[in-house]
Amino acid sequence: MSFLQSIKNTVRSRSIHVSYVNVGSCNGCDIEVLAMLAPRYDIEQYGIYVHNNPREADILLVTGAFTPQWEDKLKSIWDKIPEPKAAIAIGNCPISGCVFNRRGCYIDPPVAKHIPIAAEVPGCPPRPTEILNAVLSLAPVVFKDYEEKQQ
Amino acid sequence: MKKTVDVSLPIGPLHPCFKEPARIRCETKGERVISAEMDLGYVKKGIERIMRGRPWQEVMFLAERVCGICSVIHNMVCIETLEKLSGIDVPERAAYLRVIVNELDRIQSHLLANFSYCYTIEHETLSMYLLNLRETAMDMLELITGARVTCAYMVPGGVRFDLRDEDRLTLEEALDHMEKELDRYVGMFKNGPLIAQRSKGVGIISRDDVIEAHGVGPVARASGIPESDRRLEHPTYRKLGFTSLSYEDGDNYARIMIRFDEVYQSIGLIRRCLENMVPGPIRGGGIVTAGEATHAGEAPRGELTYYVKTDEYGRILDIAIRTPSIMNIESCAHYMLEGVSSAADITSTFISADPCIACTER
Amino acid sequence: MGTSFSYYLREMLRGEWLRNFLFVKTAPYVTPPHFRDYPRLTGKECTRCLNCMMICPTPGAIEVLKAEDGWNPVIYPGHCIRCGLCVEACPEGVLMSGRILESQFYENTGYSYTFHLTVDTTRCMRCGNCSVACPINKEEDPQLAAGGTGANDEVIMRVKGGELQILHEEKCTGCKTCEETCPNSAIRVARVIEAIHVAEEEG
Repeated sequence: MSFLQSIKNTVRSRSIHVSYVNVGSCNGCDIEVLAMLAPRYDIEQYGIYVHNNPREADILLVTGAFTPQWEDKLKSIWDKIPEPKAAIAIGNCPISGCVFNRRGCYIDPPVAKHIPIAAEVPGCPPRPTEILNAVLSLAPVVFKDYEEKQQ
Repeated sequence: MKKTVDVSLPIGPLHPCFKEPARIRCETKGERVISAEMDLGYVKKGIERIMRGRPWQEVMFLAERVCGICSVIHNMVCIETLEKLSGIDVPERAAYLRVIVNELDRIQSHLLANFSYCYTIEHETLSMYLLNLRETAMDMLELITGARVTCAYMVPGGVRFDLRDEDRLTLEEALDHMEKELDRYVGMFKNGPLIAQRSKGVGIISRDDVIEAHGVGPVARASGIPESDRRLEHPTYRKLGFTSLSYEDGDNYARIMIRFDEVYQSIGLIRRCLENMVPGPIRGGGIVTAGEATHAGEAPRGELTYYVKTDEYGRILDIAIRTPSIMNIESCAHYMLEGVSSAADITSTFISADPCIACTER
Repeated sequence: MGTSFSYYLREMLRGEWLRNFLFVKTAPYVTPPHFRDYPRLTGKECTRCLNCMMICPTPGAIEVLKAEDGWNPVIYPGHCIRCGLCVEACPEGVLMSGRILESQFYENTGYSYTFHLTVDTTRCMRCGNCSVACPINKEEDPQLAAGGTGANDEVIMRVKGGELQILHEEKCTGCKTCEETCPNSAIRVARVIEAIHVAEEEG
C-alpha cells in the first residue's frame, strides 16, 4: 500500500485547490491573494487553482477580523470541506485583530478559537510572496501520509 | 399586481467572481430578471465607533483600513478634513506628491475593476494582461511610499517621504511603458466582437435614473453627468488644468471604457505634476485644533465625504464617513438589473458597477 | 479597422510574444530593499525613552524589554502593521525598516510632541492611583510611590486640597500609565504630535 500512498502524496502536493472566505476584512489581504493570480507571481504554475467552491477545496484561506455575523456560517463552511483539509489565516486580522482590537469594536479575535488553523501569515497585508511560501510549504506537510495517519 | 416568478435566485456570499461577501437575490422568470435586492452586512466592524477619542496618528491608520483597494484616498480625505478645520497649509511640493500617489492608486484601482469585469465575462487573457499591468503601478507605489497597499503616506501638513531623482526617472519610464501597453489592451477590448455583444446594451441606466438613485463616480459619468467629479474643486487639480470625461450610453461597455480613459488621464496628470514639481520642504507643521468640518474627495468609485468634529487637543469627538459604493450598488440592484436577459449577465453587470463592500459596511 | 480575427492573429504572432512564450524564465522572487519590512535593530544603544511605544497605533505591537546590557525594543509580527512610525520617532535611530531611516536623515524630518492631561472632576474619586503609578512621579518623589502620601510639589500631579491638582504638565512623557490605572476613566492623556522638518544641527 505504501506505493499507492506515495503516489497520493505526490499528487496531493502538486495540485492544491484553494478557496477563500472573507470574515470581515478591509480587502487589502484579498487583493494580495488576487495579485498572486497575475503572471508576475503566477500561482497556477505550481498547480494551485483558486476557485471559490468549498466542496472542491483542499485549503481554506481566511482573511479578516472575525465579525459576529460569521459565527455559525464559518463553522458550516469548514464542515463542508472534505478531508484532508487545512486552514491558513492570512494577515494580522485573524491572528490578533490588527488595529481594530480596541474596546468597542464588534470583532472577536483570534479566528483559531472557531476553526482549527494550521498556519498563519503575519503582515498588514502580507506580500504575495509570503502567502505563496506559506501555501507551498504547508501542503506537503499536512497531506503527507494522510491515510496511514488515519489508522 | 400579481407577477409570476419561476425561481428566486440567490447569488450568494461565496462566489468565484466576487472578492467580498454580499448576496444578490434576483427574482427571475426563465432567465430574464424581473427585480433584484441586495443583502449586505457580512463584514460590519464598527470602525467609526473606535475612532472616537483618538488623535490623528491613530485615526489615520483606521481610516486607511476602511477599504484596502482605495486606501490612499481615505487617508487623503481624512487628513485634508483635519487640515481644513485647523487651518493648516500644505507646501507646494507636498501637494504635488500627494496628487502623484493619489493618481497611482486610482490607476491600480481602475485596472483591478476592469480585470474583474474581463474575468467575469470569461476573457481570461485580457484580464491577466491587465492584472500584470497593475503590478507596474504597484511597483511605483512601493518605490515612493515603501508599501504596496495601505501606504500611510500623508500627514497633517505634508507627506512623510520625498521623491528622489533616480526614482523619478524610474517613474517616468514606467509611465511610458504603461501607456504603450494600454494602447494594445484597449484595442483588444474595443475590437473584440464577443466582448461587444456581451457588454453593449446590457445593464443600461439612463441619466434620470442615475440622478434619482444618487449614482456617483464612473457609473454617473458613463451616463452623461461629467460634473459629478469632485476633483474639479480641489485647488491642486485646478492648477493642473483638470477636466472631467463622460460617455452617453450608460451600459457596461461605457463604464469599462470610461475607466480606461481615466487611466490615460491619470498618467497625463502624473506627468504634468512631475514637470511642475519645485524643490522645497515636504512638511509644513501644524497642530490639529478644535473645530468641525466636512470635506469631500473623489475616490476611484465616486465621491467620498468625511464629517469630523474634534476637541481642543485634536482628538476626534464625532466622525461620519459616507462612501460611494452604497449608491452605486443601489443603482445597480434597482435599475440596472431590471430586464437583464440572462443569468450570466447579472454578475457582469454587478461587477461593472465596481462594488466595494468593505467600504459600504466599514 | 479590420475584422477582429486578423487583429488577434496579428497580436499573437508578434516576435516579442513568441520569444516570451518560448524562452522567458520566471524571475526569482526578490523583496526590493525599499520595502517597509518589520523594523530591525541597528545596534545603537536604546535609552528607554519609550517614544516608539507612545506613537505606535496598534495595541500590543512593540515593547521595550530588558536585554543583557540595557534595553531593546521588541516587535511582535502578528500585531505590527509595518507603518514605520516607530522608526521615525526614535531619537537614537535604534530601529530601521526599508529606506525610512536614511530618508529621515537626508530630509531632516521628525515629530515634535506635547502632552496634556485632562481630569473629569465629576468622575474623579480622588483615590490617588494615578499619582502613585506615574513613573515620573516615582523619580521625583519616591515617598509618594512607596507610601502613597507626600508633600513634594515637583511631581506632575497629586491629590492636594481635596482634588487632583496638575502641577507640572510639561514633565509628562505620554506613557498613559495613569489612564490605565484609573478605576473610573477620569484622567485622560492627549498626545499632540506635529510632523515637522527638524532644524539642521551642527556637526
